[in-house]
Amino acid sequence: MLAHPFRTALAAFSNRPYICQSCLCRVKPQLLASRHPVIKITSRALQTQDNAPNKDNAPFRKSLKDAAKQKRKQERENAGASKKSQKGKDTRLEKWELTVGIEIHAELNTARKLFSSATTSVNELPNTHVALFDAAFPGSQPHFQIETLIPALRSALALSCNIQQKSTFDRKHYFYQDQPAGYQITQYYEPFARDGHITLYPHDFPSGVSPEGGPVTIGIRQIQIEQDTAKTVLQPPSTYLLDFNRVSHPLIEIITLPHIHNASTAAACVRKIQGILKAVNAVTAGMEMGGLRADVNVSVRERNAQAGVAGLSYYGVSGLGQRTEIKNLASVKAVEEAIIAERDRQIGLLESGGVVEGETRGWTIGSKTTKRLRGKEGEIDYRYMPDPDIAPIIVGNDVVEHLRETLPMLSDDYIQKLVSKEYGLTSKDASTLLLLDDGDRLDYYFDVVENLRSTFSGTRDVLSRVGKVAGNWVLMELGGLFKNEEWSSSRVPSDALAAIIAHLLRKQITGRTAKLLLSMKFEGDARLVEHIIIDDDMILRPLSRQEYTALAEKVLEGKPDMVRDIVENQQHQKLKWFVGQMMARSAEGTVEPGAAEATLRELLQLPPLEQK
Amino acid sequence: MSRLPSYYKCLAKQSRIAHLNAFISLADGASVISTTPDTHGSFSGKSIAIKDNICTSDLPTTAGSGILKDFISPYDATVVRRLQDAGAVIMGKTNMDEFGMGSHSMHSYFGPVKQLGRGEEGISAGGSSGGSAVAVKSGYCDVALGTDTGGSVRLPAAYTGIVGFKPSYGLLSRWGVIAYANSLDTVGILANSVDMVRQTFNLLNKYDPQDPTSLVPSTRSRLRTPKSAETPLRIGIPLEYNVSTLKPAIRDAWICALRLLQSKGHTLHSVSLPATRHALSAYYILAPAEASSNLAKYDGVRYGSRAEGIDGTPQSVLFAKTRGEGFGPEVRRRILLGTFSLSAQAIDNYFIQAQKIRRLVQQDFDNAFSAPNPLVSSTSPSVSNSSGVDVLLCPTAPTLPQLISNIENQDSVSETMSDVFTVPASLAGLPAISIPISIREDHNDPDLSKAGVEQTAGMQIIGQYGDDRLVLDVASQLEVRQRVKI
Repeated sequence: MLAHPFRTALAAFSNRPYICQSCLCRVKPQLLASRHPVIKITSRALQTQDNAPNKDNAPFRKSLKDAAKQKRKQERENAGASKKSQKGKDTRLEKWELTVGIEIHAELNTARKLFSSATTSVNELPNTHVALFDAAFPGSQPHFQIETLIPALRSALALSCNIQQKSTFDRKHYFYQDQPAGYQITQYYEPFARDGHITLYPHDFPSGVSPEGGPVTIGIRQIQIEQDTAKTVLQPPSTYLLDFNRVSHPLIEIITLPHIHNASTAAACVRKIQGILKAVNAVTAGMEMGGLRADVNVSVRERNAQAGVAGLSYYGVSGLGQRTEIKNLASVKAVEEAIIAERDRQIGLLESGGVVEGETRGWTIGSKTTKRLRGKEGEIDYRYMPDPDIAPIIVGNDVVEHLRETLPMLSDDYIQKLVSKEYGLTSKDASTLLLLDDGDRLDYYFDVVENLRSTFSGTRDVLSRVGKVAGNWVLMELGGLFKNEEWSSSRVPSDALAAIIAHLLRKQITGRTAKLLLSMKFEGDARLVEHIIIDDDMILRPLSRQEYTALAEKVLEGKPDMVRDIVENQQHQKLKWFVGQMMARSAEGTVEPGAAEATLRELLQLPPLEQK
Repeated sequence: MSRLPSYYKCLAKQSRIAHLNAFISLADGASVISTTPDTHGSFSGKSIAIKDNICTSDLPTTAGSGILKDFISPYDATVVRRLQDAGAVIMGKTNMDEFGMGSHSMHSYFGPVKQLGRGEEGISAGGSSGGSAVAVKSGYCDVALGTDTGGSVRLPAAYTGIVGFKPSYGLLSRWGVIAYANSLDTVGILANSVDMVRQTFNLLNKYDPQDPTSLVPSTRSRLRTPKSAETPLRIGIPLEYNVSTLKPAIRDAWICALRLLQSKGHTLHSVSLPATRHALSAYYILAPAEASSNLAKYDGVRYGSRAEGIDGTPQSVLFAKTRGEGFGPEVRRRILLGTFSLSAQAIDNYFIQAQKIRRLVQQDFDNAFSAPNPLVSSTSPSVSNSSGVDVLLCPTAPTLPQLISNIENQDSVSETMSDVFTVPASLAGLPAISIPISIREDHNDPDLSKAGVEQTAGMQIIGQYGDDRLVLDVASQLEVRQRVKI
C-alpha cells in the first residue's frame, strides 16, 4: 500500500543526500515556534529532590580527558602490581568464557523527524524544531515521514538483514521528563529488518589480529526504527531545562545476538557497524558526537561445564550464564572497558561462590567497575502496545532491490579492492586508509592513484606499482607530516603529491628530494611542484659511471675495516652506510641510492642487488 | 437583516440553562455578536456547541479534567475549523465525563451535567457527551459535536431524546480530538433532527491528511453507494440485544419502531450476533488500555496544571504527585486497569484476548449484513450475502435515564452496563445513530414524569461500514413516520 508513494520519494532522494534543502523550503512545517507565535512553551522549572538523573550529561570530550587522566594516574600507581593481577586474570579467562550481545542506537540522517514534518537539527536554538506531536500536545497525531525509511533500509541491507515486507510501530511506556508522550514509539512486535550478520576480519581489529584467530561472524537479530528523546540540560542545583529539538529524531536500534566472546571483538563490532552506517550515509554523526549509543548484555559461563547443565538461552543461543545489561555507553572505548569490568566482576562473584543477578548496570568513563542501577524487581514493564494511530509499513520488493543496487561500496569491499593486484596494499594499510579521517584519506588516495594512472597510462611496469607507492606516500610520508595536525586534503593537493611521485618514479628526482618537496608543499609553498624543481635546481643530474666509481672508491678507502666486515663477514647491510656517505658527499639530487649501491657491490664483487 | 441568526436567541437562553452545567466555557456574547457571519457559508449563522475534548484555540479545552483545567490549545481541531469555515458560530465548550470516561457525565472536574426538567431532582443526561446533548436539547445550539468511543454520543442522545450519530470510524477527522481510546474514538454529531445531523455530517465527511486514521480518498471511493431507503430493506433484529434486563418501556418502543419500518415496506429478520455477549468486557479492557497509554502525556511539564510544591523524589519521576492530583477517581481507575492489562504478566490473558473478541464482533456484523465490509473484502465487491440484512435496529440503552441521586450510589460496573448496546458498533467501527421513539404513556417512568422530562427511548440503527447515508436515511424514515403517527 505504501510502496507507491515510497517509490516517488525514492526517485527524489536516491541520488542526493537525505537532507534535501529544496524539500525543506517547499513545506510549511507546523512548528510551534513559527506558526503559533502566541503559544510559547513558557520555561517551566521542575522542582525536585532528585539531584542528578542517571544520565551522563557531561560533555563527551571532557569525560574522555578525565578518563585519560585517571587512567594515567592509575597506571603509575599500579605499575608493579598490575602485571601480577593481569596474569591472575588470564588464568581465570581460561576457565570462564565471556558472552556479549550489543544493542546499538544510531541517529539516522534524515531531513525530518520520524512522526512530524518538523526538521531535524543539531545544536539549534532549543525548542525551535518541535511540531505539536513532538511535544505531545493534546489531540495531535503522528505523521509518519516515509523518507526516514531510506537510510534505515540502507543500514539494514548493509548489515545483510532480511527486510520485512510488513512492519509495525508499538508504544514502549515509561515515565521520564525527556519522553513527552510518556511512551517511545518503536518497533517491538514486528521490526522492519531481521536476521542479518556482520563479519569481522583481522583487519577490523586495531592490532590487525582477531582474538579468535580468524574472521568472526556476529548475528544480528533485528533492526528497529524508533524515536529519540528530548535533551535534559541540568541547571544547578536542581533545575532541569528540556530541549525538545531532538524528540522524535529517527533512530535505528541494531540488536546483535550473543555471539561475541571478547571485549575487543565487541569494540571492533561497534566500530565496524559505525563505519558501515557512515559508508551508506545512514547516520549523522559518529559515536563520539552522541549520534551513537550502545547497551551491552554481558554474561560469563564456565568453559568446561558438564553438558546437561542447563543455561539460559536467547533467540536460539543457549547455555548462557545470567546476563546483566550495561546501558548508555557513548564510545567504543567505553564499550570495551565496561565489558572487561563487568566480566571481571561477574567472574569474581562466581568464583567466590556468589550468583550473578539479572540487573541493569551503569558505567562511567574512567571507573574501574560497573555500578548497579536497578535490579530485576525494579525493571520497568514497558507495556508494549501497538500504536493504534500508525498504519503498518509495507515495503515493496522493488524498493528493496533498488536500494540494494544503489548501495555504496562497504568497507569490506574497499579493503578487498585495495589489497587486490589493482592497488597492491597490505590489508593493514588498506584498513588504516579506510579508518582515517572519516574516509577522506581514502578519497585522497584514490585521487592520487587516478592522477598517476593517467600520467603513466602508457608505461605498464610503472602502472602496476603506482597503487603501492601512492599508498606509502599517503600513509607514511604525508601521515608523518599530519601526525600532530588535523587532516586537510587541500594542504598538499592530491595533484601536487601525484606530481612529486611521478617525478620520483621517472627517476627525475631522488627520494630525498621528493620528501623535501612534500614538506615544502606542506609548509605552504604555493609554487607548482614542477616550478620548485626547476627554481631550486632539484632535478637529478645522474653522475657518469666513472664518477660513481670514483666516489665509491673514495668512501670505501676511508673505512677498510667495514669493507672487511662486508666482504668477509657477509655483513651486507653495512653497504647502506656507504650509500649514505656517497649521497652526503655529493650535491643534492645527484646520487641515486640504487645506482650508488650497485656500484659499491660491483667494486666489492658482491652479488647484484635484487630487484624489489 | 431579515432573519435573526439563531445564535442571538441562544445567547438569550444562557442564564436559563446555567444550572444544567452543560458548558465548561462559553463564548463571550459580545464577541459572538461582533463576528459577522459569513452569509455565503453553508452553515452561516448556525450555532454550534463543541465537546470540551475537541481542541479550539479561542476557548479553553479541558476534556473535563483538572489536569487541563486552564489549557488553551494552540490550534483548532479539523472538525472545528471546517464548521467555522462554513460560517458556523461556536457557542461554547460542553461539559463531559473526564476524558470521555463515563456514561452519565458525572465524572467531570467541573461538576455533573443535569438534563432539563422541572423538578429539583437532577436527571442523568447520559455520557460522556452529556453537555453537548443538553446544549442541543435546551435549544442553546443547532448542533453539537461530541465524541463516541463506546456510545458517548448515542447514549446521551437516547437519554435526552435527541438524535446522536456516530459515523463510521475514519470518516470524520480526529486531528485535534483529545484521545481517550484512539482505535475507537469517533467524532459524533448531536442535533434535534436527522436532517441537521446529515448536513453536519456532509460538511465534515472529508479526508484529512492530518489524521493518520482518516480514510484516504482512494478507499473512500471504494465505499459503495448504499441502497436507497425508498426500496424495501431487510431490517435485522439482533436477538442478543433482547436481554432480560431490558426495560419493558424500551422493548415496547423497539417493537413500535420495527412496526413503523415494516409499515414502510421493509422486511424484518432476526439476526444472531453471538460475540455481543463478550463485547462489553472486551471494550472495558481495550479502552482503558489505550487510555492508560494516551493519558501518559499529561505530566504538567509542557502544559496543563502541576501539583503545588515539590514533585518528584529520587525514587519517582518528576510528576507522580501532579498526575495523582490532576486526574479524577474514574480516570485514575481506568488508567490503573489499562496499565495492568498491558503489563507483561497480563497482556496475553487480557489485552490480546480482548482484541480477538473485537475481531469476532466485527465478523459477527459482517456475517449479519448483506453488504461486504469494504475494509475487509478485496477490491472487487464480493457477492453479497443474500440472507443478510441492510441495517440493524436495536435499543440504544437498556434503561431510561436515571435520577442522578440513584447513579451516585451505583458502583462503576453498573455504570458500564448502560453501554452494553452501543459498544459493539464501536468495536467494529460501524455507523450507528440513536433516534428518539416515544414510549407509551402507561410505560412512563414515575420519576421522570415527576421531573417533567419528555419520555422517549433511544433506538439505534447500525449499518455496515461506510453505509452512513443508509443509516441516516432509515433514521429519517423512522423520524417522519413517528411524527405522522403522533
